Amino acid sequence: MSSNNYWKGVEELDQTKEFVSSNANEFSEGLPLDKVFSNDDSTRANRRDFLKYFGFGLGAVTLAACNKAPIRKAIPYTEKPDNVTPGVPLYYASSSVSNTEGFPVIVKVREGRPIKFEPNKEATYFGGGLDGLGHSAILSLYDTNRLRGPMVSGKRKPLSWEDFDKEVKQGLAKTVSLGKSIAIITNGSNSLVTNKAISDFKAKYNNTEVIAYEPISYSGILRANTKSFGQRIIPAYNFDQADVIVSFGADFLGTWISPIKFHSDYSKNRVPKEGKMSKHYQFESLMSLTGSNADVRVPMKMSNVGQHLIALYRELGGATPHQGMEVAGNTIKVAAAELKAAGNKGLVVCGSNNEADQLLVNSINMMLGSYGTCIDTTNYYKGQTADEADFNAFLTRAKSGNYGAVINLDTNPLYSHPAAKEAFNAIPMRITTALTLDETSVNATHIATNLHPLENWDVKEPYKGRYVIAQPTISPVFEGRSSASSLVAWAGGDVADKAETTHAYNYTKQTFEAIVGGNFNKALEIGIVENLSAASVPSFNITGRAAADAIATKKGVDTELIIYQKVGVRDGAFGNTPWAHEMPDPVSKVTWDNYISIAMPDAKAQDLETGDVVKLTTKTGTIELPVLVQPGQTKSTYGIALGYGRLLPEEVKNDLKDLGKNAYPLVDMTAGYSDYTIGGVKLEKVLTPYKYEFGITQTHYSIEGRDIIREATLDEYNKDPRSGSYVHKPKMISLWDDYDYSKGHHWAMAIDLNSCTGCSACIVSCSIENNVPIVGRDEVRRRREMHWLRIDRYYSFEAPSQKDLSLSIVHGGEQTVEAGEQMTREKVMEAYSAASEDTDSAYDYYQNVRVAHQPMMCQHCDNAPCETVCPVLATTHSSEGLNQMTYNRCIGTKYCGNNCPYKVRRFNWFRYNENEKFDYHFSNDLGKMVINPDVTVRSRGVMEKCSFCVQRIQATKLTAKRENRKMKTDEFTTACAQTCPSNAIVFGDLNNKESEIAKLYANDRSYHVLEELGVKPSVQYMTKIRNKK
Amino acid sequence: MIKKKKQVALATIFTLVNTLSYSQNNMSSFYSESTFLALIILSVVLAAIAALLYGIKRHLTVLNNEKFNEQIEPSFYDAKIRPIVEKWNPTIATLIVAGALLVILGGFGYKFGMDEVGVQQGYAPSQPINFSHKIHAGQYEIDCKYCHSTVEKSKSASIPSLNTCMNCHKYVKAAEKYNGKTSPEIQKIYNAIGYDGENMEYIEGYEQKPIEWIRIHNLPDLAYFNHSQHVVVGKLDCQTCHGPIEEMEKVYQYSTLQMGWCIDCHRERGIDSENNDYYEEAHKNMIAEGKDFISVADNGGLECSKCHY
Repeated sequence: MSSNNYWKGVEELDQTKEFVSSNANEFSEGLPLDKVFSNDDSTRANRRDFLKYFGFGLGAVTLAACNKAPIRKAIPYTEKPDNVTPGVPLYYASSSVSNTEGFPVIVKVREGRPIKFEPNKEATYFGGGLDGLGHSAILSLYDTNRLRGPMVSGKRKPLSWEDFDKEVKQGLAKTVSLGKSIAIITNGSNSLVTNKAISDFKAKYNNTEVIAYEPISYSGILRANTKSFGQRIIPAYNFDQADVIVSFGADFLGTWISPIKFHSDYSKNRVPKEGKMSKHYQFESLMSLTGSNADVRVPMKMSNVGQHLIALYRELGGATPHQGMEVAGNTIKVAAAELKAAGNKGLVVCGSNNEADQLLVNSINMMLGSYGTCIDTTNYYKGQTADEADFNAFLTRAKSGNYGAVINLDTNPLYSHPAAKEAFNAIPMRITTALTLDETSVNATHIATNLHPLENWDVKEPYKGRYVIAQPTISPVFEGRSSASSLVAWAGGDVADKAETTHAYNYTKQTFEAIVGGNFNKALEIGIVENLSAASVPSFNITGRAAADAIATKKGVDTELIIYQKVGVRDGAFGNTPWAHEMPDPVSKVTWDNYISIAMPDAKAQDLETGDVVKLTTKTGTIELPVLVQPGQTKSTYGIALGYGRLLPEEVKNDLKDLGKNAYPLVDMTAGYSDYTIGGVKLEKVLTPYKYEFGITQTHYSIEGRDIIREATLDEYNKDPRSGSYVHKPKMISLWDDYDYSKGHHWAMAIDLNSCTGCSACIVSCSIENNVPIVGRDEVRRRREMHWLRIDRYYSFEAPSQKDLSLSIVHGGEQTVEAGEQMTREKVMEAYSAASEDTDSAYDYYQNVRVAHQPMMCQHCDNAPCETVCPVLATTHSSEGLNQMTYNRCIGTKYCGNNCPYKVRRFNWFRYNENEKFDYHFSNDLGKMVINPDVTVRSRGVMEKCSFCVQRIQATKLTAKRENRKMKTDEFTTACAQTCPSNAIVFGDLNNKESEIAKLYANDRSYHVLEELGVKPSVQYMTKIRNKK
Repeated sequence: MIKKKKQVALATIFTLVNTLSYSQNNMSSFYSESTFLALIILSVVLAAIAALLYGIKRHLTVLNNEKFNEQIEPSFYDAKIRPIVEKWNPTIATLIVAGALLVILGGFGYKFGMDEVGVQQGYAPSQPINFSHKIHAGQYEIDCKYCHSTVEKSKSASIPSLNTCMNCHKYVKAAEKYNGKTSPEIQKIYNAIGYDGENMEYIEGYEQKPIEWIRIHNLPDLAYFNHSQHVVVGKLDCQTCHGPIEEMEKVYQYSTLQMGWCIDCHRERGIDSENNDYYEEAHKNMIAEGKDFISVADNGGLECSKCHY
């Protein structure tokens, strides 16, 4: 294998003119010096102007320097709370706010303001990690668009709660007197407190209906499980129990059901132990995060998934007269054989929302015996319970005027359901609980401003018997009230605060004690209570044969559109969290946009390139978006992400409104369920003067054919643990006197490319910990993203299977290339030489790519090239092995960035936190609350980069010194390592021989990126092992 | 005419001297050093303009006289200075004058830049309450840590919250000095926290108003300083940096708080490696190397990212 096989994007592979010219320089745009110094009057800025500006600048600087030092105030508490020490953070166990399921987290609080989420390591079942959106969602607390108090439509001025309640009660009483019903829309809530409040409300208004609504539907699984074993549930999937995982279009590491937990479970078997690791087959149409991590990834069409499932069912010995459909390379047969061998250690999951497909999946898993091992139906998942059939029925009833009032609890159906607006408008009284003005609340007659989850009490039950307790970590910023308290108030209850405790606290405590039981304070401390039942295996009511019969008539379509969720933005509920938008998509590396992803063969056939705008037409509507050519995507499939194209009212101020287009109206509901695979799609090129430019980070640097990423197969690894590291260790000759790092601490990091899935949670965690500014789409286009940590995603071609093209893939006459082996493009093209004449299958090889993810941050080189070129010694080396960056010394020559072989230094172009043009919550007073006070907010004109979270190093050392003890082994870790759900990043002190890092440094798979340069990096990578022959 | 000129010159000098002395005495409260500098620059600019105007006037006079053939007495410059100047080599003269100016102004600028810009040594602003450390820390010998209670736990020593003041001032009203009435300064505490001094009870539902003290010791945001590091681990006395605080009626900034001041101390002072288990290894190495002292600098205390991150 040669490193030349890897490429970061189509542009690099093709060496397009734009790519070559833009990568020739460190920065995408040069300074317009020639213009400034030219005497040509036709250019706007000439020498005279330059001198004018120069003179003015000098004068301005002189005057600015004359400023009096500002008077700074120090305002102490009037009565200091006992447990608060100014300058020392407090940590509270609570629940993540980015999803409704309830996910245990720790909230870091400084002087009464939450500044960061950290994973709750006590909650081992959930994996001790967190995702990018979970981190970003803290900004929703400090959103200036938050409503200030309860409001009545027409009057955008907050009312008092008394007046508001009076109006609501009058309206509800009128509804009752008219004999009409009241509807409560919940987010399928698994919140015990909300459910208790709803039952209190129902006790007063017995004509109340409760309807669950979730923007993303899993009704296929719910309905199939009802039929299969009489339980309307989504089971708990235990990927850690599975030796063989076969996924049909389920992006379980990215967006499917509960990805953070799946991540940590999945990664437990991904590092070879005693020569073994789990095997993962992924059949999918788009290139998903999960697919990018699969050992064997086979492109298929999602509309054919039922037929493929039949084929798998047959291969496993299921009785059915139907043939089904095999995929390229007979991979289903191979997968079936492995599943059979794995028995109850095999797991099949499917992303289809079709009931029949899921019924067959259930049968297959039952045949394997996975129920009770990989699938737990006793302590099942409770985060998703809604069936869109109920909501659609509600909409129909609403249109016919059945309801006098609707109470919408924190959902936003008017954005995510195209038919909801008309139906809602047929209801005279529309109450909604919301934090900001969104599509639903702007259309409401009454807005009962909610408390942010971080200001509120709650008990959630994400899994049956597992309770996550949410506690407030800040006193309410605005005049909100918990939606449970609102319901109780409207039912006539007294929600006034009593004896220094709020109603929400008392109500939550009562609910907890009644339903869960046990010590409430103890539960608050840990954040999670588990009352589990012994797992049992369900008995099946339906055979696989019947399930297969139901699918048999379902045929694939010519061209299909897949509606999917992006890892960063998910269903769009937290659309106003810029960190999530700036996080590059783990696969496409696009920020801030959605797009139509398209396969290379289709692009070539229809003469499309990335950035061309097309009009896509389906049965239910049209959408106009730019296209993005995505390697690995199946021919004749298109993908559009949900969560974009928000229609927010004028009052909502920020730049997040004009992002992408809304794909929810395209979801096909004609068959009685939300089908995210839509057939009969037409594509039409729209003529635009310019190509659309994405803020895309993947091609900001080029790999230049260097040996950066290393991989091997499991067989090779078992023969030689050092395989993949094919480069001989170079003999190092150093120009420098070696420094002895064996005394004191020596900080280092190890990154396991096998565990790393590329989920990008670390990027956001790092940004929040280190006050990394959000720069916005335009600046990303100029290659000015500020992320200290990036994840490089490399593609390489795979040899196609023989069946694919009925070709014998012989290279050079002698050497036969096995299907699935890594190849250079030239070899692939050679193999396809016959096909390239056939225009239909030319470029088909772009469907077979494999992906490697590699987190890249400052490598803290012992012989750091950046340090030697700094003219002002702003970057220096510490005795503990850190490459230090001193911002106040930096004069911004950018020499260090030029000389860095890893391209991890970022130049700070603007004062993002003071500049109103960067309206991403950082530039206003409320948004600034999220800033970590222990880290400098950098000004413009300086270089910055990963510091190995030196503030955490220093804080932990100080604690040890104060407590008169040595530092404990692995006492702390960096923000990226802490949040990694798959534990791919390990940080520690190399000089402590018991530390995890010291053990990992002795690992056979370890290598340093570009070690031949002799820069001696302190970050070690471990070769990626794929479970292949 | 001449008399008038003299008057103007005298007035100018008087103003300048006054400004200078005023600024030196009340540097911190009225003029900051930089305002003073701005005034100096302004004066120089105005003087230059005056000189320019004088030159123009003179020139116009000469032109006028040439036109109307009027004789005038040569100016003071023409009569006395010009003959001397004309003997000089203009290049060398210019260089000498420019060099001298450069040395003087540069020296002044360097000294000013290094010692004055941003340095607020001696800064003693008036506080909302005329709190006297001399009485509390000096006369009554109250331990610093009683009020600055987080100094051993946190990076900030913290200004005490009002309930700390009330521990004593619930009863201590200094009434003997004010004819049986509560001292007006103590009354400020009561007004802030909502305490009825007469009836010795807190007022129900009082809207408390925190005291807005003026920060005296301002480190720039780019420097991380931790009190507990210096007080607990470094075992420094408060007075080392804050000066004779127990003698201060009004607190002023005792040290320069410049980086050089930090560095000097880090070079001179040693770490207590013997009595802190954290330094066990360092202490062994020290003995092995035959030394009897590890300075903070030896321990990495001069490395950038120990304070800047």
